[in-house]
Amino acid sequence: MELALAKAAFAFYAAAMALAFLYLFYKDDKWSLWMLRLMGVGVLLQSASFGFRMHSFWLIPENRYFLPINSFFGALSYLSLAVAAVFYFVEGRHRLGILGAFVLPWPVIGLGSALIWADPKTSGLVPALQSYWINIHPVVLMTSYAAFGNAFGVGLALLVQEHQIKSRKPSELCYRLPSIEELDDLNYHIIAAAWPVLTVGIIMGGVWAYNAWGRFWGWDPKETWALITALIYAGYLHMRYVGRLRGKKAIYVSMVGFASVVFTFLGVNFLSGLHAYLSGGA
Amino acid sequence: MLKYRNKMALFRSIRFNIYVGLAIAIAAAVGTLVPQTPESPANVETFQLHHPALSHFYHFLGFFDLYHSPWFMGLLALMAFDIVLCKLWNRPPDPDVVSLPPEETKEAEAEKHLSMKAEALRLKPLKAVLVAKTPYREAAAKAREMLRARGYHLREEFSLPQGSAFLATRHRPQRWGSYTTHIALVVILLGALIKGVWGFTEMIPVLEGSSRAVQNIPQWSVHVDHFRVRYYPGTMNPSSYESDVRLTDGGKLLAAKTIHVNDPLDYQGVRFYQASWGAGGMFRKVLLEIGGKAMELAQRRAEAIPGLPFRVEADMMLPDFTITPDGRPDTASLEPKNPAVRFAFFLGKNKTRALWLFMNFPKVCLVEDEDGRLSHAPPPPFRLAGIEPILFSGIQTAYDPGYKVVAAGGILWLCGTVLLFYLHRRRLWVLVEPRRKGSKEEMESSPIRLSVGGFGSRGPKAYAAEFDSIIRAFETELSGHAEIQESRNNIQEVV
Repeated sequence: MELALAKAAFAFYAAAMALAFLYLFYKDDKWSLWMLRLMGVGVLLQSASFGFRMHSFWLIPENRYFLPINSFFGALSYLSLAVAAVFYFVEGRHRLGILGAFVLPWPVIGLGSALIWADPKTSGLVPALQSYWINIHPVVLMTSYAAFGNAFGVGLALLVQEHQIKSRKPSELCYRLPSIEELDDLNYHIIAAAWPVLTVGIIMGGVWAYNAWGRFWGWDPKETWALITALIYAGYLHMRYVGRLRGKKAIYVSMVGFASVVFTFLGVNFLSGLHAYLSGGA
Repeated sequence: MLKYRNKMALFRSIRFNIYVGLAIAIAAAVGTLVPQTPESPANVETFQLHHPALSHFYHFLGFFDLYHSPWFMGLLALMAFDIVLCKLWNRPPDPDVVSLPPEETKEAEAEKHLSMKAEALRLKPLKAVLVAKTPYREAAAKAREMLRARGYHLREEFSLPQGSAFLATRHRPQRWGSYTTHIALVVILLGALIKGVWGFTEMIPVLEGSSRAVQNIPQWSVHVDHFRVRYYPGTMNPSSYESDVRLTDGGKLLAAKTIHVNDPLDYQGVRFYQASWGAGGMFRKVLLEIGGKAMELAQRRAEAIPGLPFRVEADMMLPDFTITPDGRPDTASLEPKNPAVRFAFFLGKNKTRALWLFMNFPKVCLVEDEDGRLSHAPPPPFRLAGIEPILFSGIQTAYDPGYKVVAAGGILWLCGTVLLFYLHRRRLWVLVEPRRKGSKEEMESSPIRLSVGGFGSRGPKAYAAEFDSIIRAFETELSGHAEIQESRNNIQEVV
């Protein structure tokens, strides 16, 4: 049931993404409206799928009542759910229409790769993860990653728009995309909302580490890369807020930040360390 | 003094500090790619073996213990120093936070505002001028009432014959956000410094049933009376492990507790964590089944096999048996995932070759020659039926007097970032002037000119919609006509 629902959610996300691309090229608001509706259904379906996952996860008594995010499958499906939900929220509020084409590939790729490569089996939590902190620390961090993913999509849209405006023959797309200023502001507002979440998530991790491993901070690769991510975005916030950096340059800095997010989430698993918990990968 | 200040200007520049942050980020990234001595000394040795020239260079730069190298510490200290300098010295993010010099009383401020009149407001990113019929004596009160209904706090009200002015604000605590966040970072770094100077951590592996001294506090001993590990059914994945721990000073019992992962023993701030466990290769006994009969063997004690002229000895155990590339026995980990025991057989005084038998693979038998190389042997007529390994409990011992400081810094950080990023501070300066000058009475009943300046901490764009709606409300409330100007300059005013 969990897998069937996840696959259905994937189908809805993919369909919504297709509509988002259609909206890029055809001037019709009904595409964007249907995209939003499909996303809503997709989010509901994936939430239900995650609910079933929790149910089977909790059949193992030690896992009660922790979230099933200890495997690649669980973490990726939670992350894509969070990206989709954040997108649904941002899009529902700002109705930019155009944003979907730049953000929706993320949940589609995330959930798709989970379905294709990761092992959906649930397993018992290792003792170190049997703490209420597992419901807080990774969830808070992944939620901020989801928001950064959305900001990255907005940044892509800005770069496309910039290219359009500077080109001699701007296409239809130029008029469909919001102005550079609007995209720049949106990128900034998403990052400004997500950055405190990221940093507080890191500090919570420190508190957990102090109770589980005996130190607040140990320069473990995952910790270190989360800190690097926070530093890059802190640089972005200062450049924009104080240094008055706008437009393309600011977007490049925020994109470096997102590259660091991706590396923190996925790449660090190849550097081992204490945080190498995710199991059931390809 | 002036010269000194100029010298410090570098450290107070945000641009410089962005570079400092960037340098810390790059250095931290390098540290995740180069093996680090505190975490994995073996990897450092392997690296040095394979890249001798590069290692020399890395060693010189302190890359093998990067996070504790003087230059990395120096970068962190520089960042803390600069933050303090910036926050103490730089133009405050909001003059509100720093109290005005004593001579600038409310009245003086009021005079200043009034003498500047609309000039002052022209500097605000959002502004509007409204001409209304409402008589001067009622207008200010009405405007104030309206803003109060919208959740604004009314401050600095003053009234003079030639005009009255007031300041209305929302989400004022936002102005503390930047200070609090930056101070929190310094506090966290201070906590880390306290730990570095006065704290310690050490790993104490204790065999079940024995004790070991704490190196940093030699008079203390940690006893592990019992160690238990439980597995998820049908797997070799532990579901929990715990130790019954006693802490003693000489013969005196200081504390006792069953410690679990995530649940340490705390005695006077020194904490004992259940960090790891394993089998080191010692065992109490093994069961060897020969011809349907089981024999109990203690480690390294040869016993005669009943009915046979041989004696047998179990001398060594590997908890997670594996074979090295050059064909020798080794263990992949300290967890008893694939336990194997080496047996030696004796005929009189002659020792036959050693055999390896496996708990999980009863039909496999490996022969070890004198060089320690392994080769396959036909299934033997005996079987390893049981092992009772002596497990060790890895007790991480830590004393961190800075933790409370770090935790306080963390809470400050939470408060600071919430204030800074989730509150939207808004200020409205409202100036009401009578349009007709003359006697007091004439002015009181005169139509008004109302000037409004607005500031939002998220920039004029984010505040424009609300500002507009307030001005429209003023129009209806005061029955007038307004002209709104949004500054073209979409730059946020302050930090």
